[in-house]
Amino acid sequence: MKLALQLAYRNLVGAGLRTWLNVGVLTFAFLMIIFLNGILDGWNHQAKTDTIAWEYGNGHLLNEKYDPYDPFSIQDGHGILSEENKENLSPILLQQGSIYPEGRMVSILLKGIEVNQKTLKIPTTNFKENASAIPAIIGVNMATSTNLKIGDQVLLRWRDKNGMFDAKNIIIVDVFKTNVPTVDHGQVWIPITHLWEMTGLENHATYFVANEKFKPKAIKQWNYVSQKELLHDLDEIISMKKSSSSILYLLLLAIALLAVFDTQVLSIFRRQKEIGTYVALGMTRSQVVGLFTIEGTMYSLFATVIGCIIGVPLFWYLSKTGMAFPTSSQDMGIAMADRIYPVYGISLILGTVALVVISATIVSFLPARKIAKLNPVEALKGKIQ
Amino acid sequence: MKTETIISLENVTKRFPVGEGEFTALDHINLTFTKGEFSGLVGPSGSGKTTLLNIIGSLDVPTEGKATVIGHDIASLSHKASAKLRNHHIGFIFQVFNLLPVYTVFENVEFPLLLQNKTASERKKAVMEALDWIGLADYAKKKPNKLSGGEGQRVAIARAMVKRPEILIADEPTANLDAANAHSILKMMKKLNRELGTTFIFSTHDEKVMTYLERIIHLRDGKVELDERIKNKNQAS
Repeated sequence: MKLALQLAYRNLVGAGLRTWLNVGVLTFAFLMIIFLNGILDGWNHQAKTDTIAWEYGNGHLLNEKYDPYDPFSIQDGHGILSEENKENLSPILLQQGSIYPEGRMVSILLKGIEVNQKTLKIPTTNFKENASAIPAIIGVNMATSTNLKIGDQVLLRWRDKNGMFDAKNIIIVDVFKTNVPTVDHGQVWIPITHLWEMTGLENHATYFVANEKFKPKAIKQWNYVSQKELLHDLDEIISMKKSSSSILYLLLLAIALLAVFDTQVLSIFRRQKEIGTYVALGMTRSQVVGLFTIEGTMYSLFATVIGCIIGVPLFWYLSKTGMAFPTSSQDMGIAMADRIYPVYGISLILGTVALVVISATIVSFLPARKIAKLNPVEALKGKIQ
Repeated sequence: MKTETIISLENVTKRFPVGEGEFTALDHINLTFTKGEFSGLVGPSGSGKTTLLNIIGSLDVPTEGKATVIGHDIASLSHKASAKLRNHHIGFIFQVFNLLPVYTVFENVEFPLLLQNKTASERKKAVMEALDWIGLADYAKKKPNKLSGGEGQRVAIARAMVKRPEILIADEPTANLDAANAHSILKMMKKLNRELGTTFIFSTHDEKVMTYLERIIHLRDGKVELDERIKNKNQAS
């Protein structure tokens, strides 16, 4: 093995440009795989972190009549939770309503939240009481789509406890920026006390957001959905994105491996006399097969070394400064920051190195097997076609 | 010492498939070679010289008959055993030198010793000694493409002799050399034959080579036509 490594190293370094072209292609594939996966992992990490911070907390305690996937359940999907069970929980009450910015009707989801809650990142401390209107905060996307800004008043219409329409002005006291569209698009946040008063549903909540200290327990008429379960959909989307992206990098790897395979095939054809000489000098055929296989593997090892030399500073820089994404990419429907900080984990790097090295070894071995069947006399004459 | 049989060929026949028929390259060859011989196979192209050398060198096996080289029946050797035989006991010199192009002169000569797992210091000592024999110690770091034809063949001789084999097989070693280089190479081989007791077997149709040989075996159509021991003017060179 040591001899084969020594000889393969000499052969590859001696082969000059042919070697470095292959190494270059493999290095590119190696870096691209890590780069793309790093972005997806970074996106995944940020999306999860932001979604937990802005929406999910440590899990949701849902009223049993409320189904997050069924808007018709909002009307009746609320209830009162006993005081002893409210520890480490922040109530959210949902109601449907409409606002009329610039004279047009926009259906919204009205969300009541405690002013002094600290579980979610929603800036509820910015609720400033106003005598003439209900204080409300909205996200940047909502503000853009409705053309509302801080200080604007807009008419809000909702149904009261009797099902009758009621209306009052809300005043935008803050516009928050978030990467989580599900707390932004079509939503207006107001103090829950106002919503209780408006709907006559005092102390009611559609669901509670749990903080880190919350210990799940069985509560009648309420269902606990853990943070992991809430993140399931996001995980599925990220996983799907990873699968579709993997096609791209597998294609890249396939091109690089094809270059190695072609080089090996050509090499075995062109180096027949050399192979015959190895055998004449006393190498066994399996040693020659091993030598050519290790030569192919060594392309990937060189690519790993060069990939590290280029990749470590590049990826370190990217993970610190992040990568800006165009504004249009924020409308994808899932949490996506305008600047993604790629995450290059050790498992990603080692996994990619293993993938490149193992696949390069396999594609090098496949043509090298032919050497085992070569007649050394014919090889020495260079007569094998 | 010269009476010790090192190679024995009994009814060695080699046939190659050609189309739907067969071509007989060697036809019932019976020969023996003793230790320290400086002999050559002579004959026109297609007479079976190279085929016979390949069988002696364990690169090929006879279709019929028995070839025994240093006590080993060539036909019964495994790939591994024949590789070991070549690595330890048989040196090869080819018409086109067959130096490994990406290696330096030193590395080319060192190669057989690497396969023998010799230590770095043993290898260095042996390689420098072999390069001294051929007068190219100063060329150790050169690549084969920087050498002339004569120098390349001398490096090939050093590579074949560095492991001090019992048998050295030289297939048309002077075919690509001018007269001066051919004589120089042959004198060197003769010297190594005398000093190290290595058995040299040539295949040639070069008159210059024949003037150095102690024994000339004439082959024609795969058969031994004449096996003569001669006294040549250059034998004492």
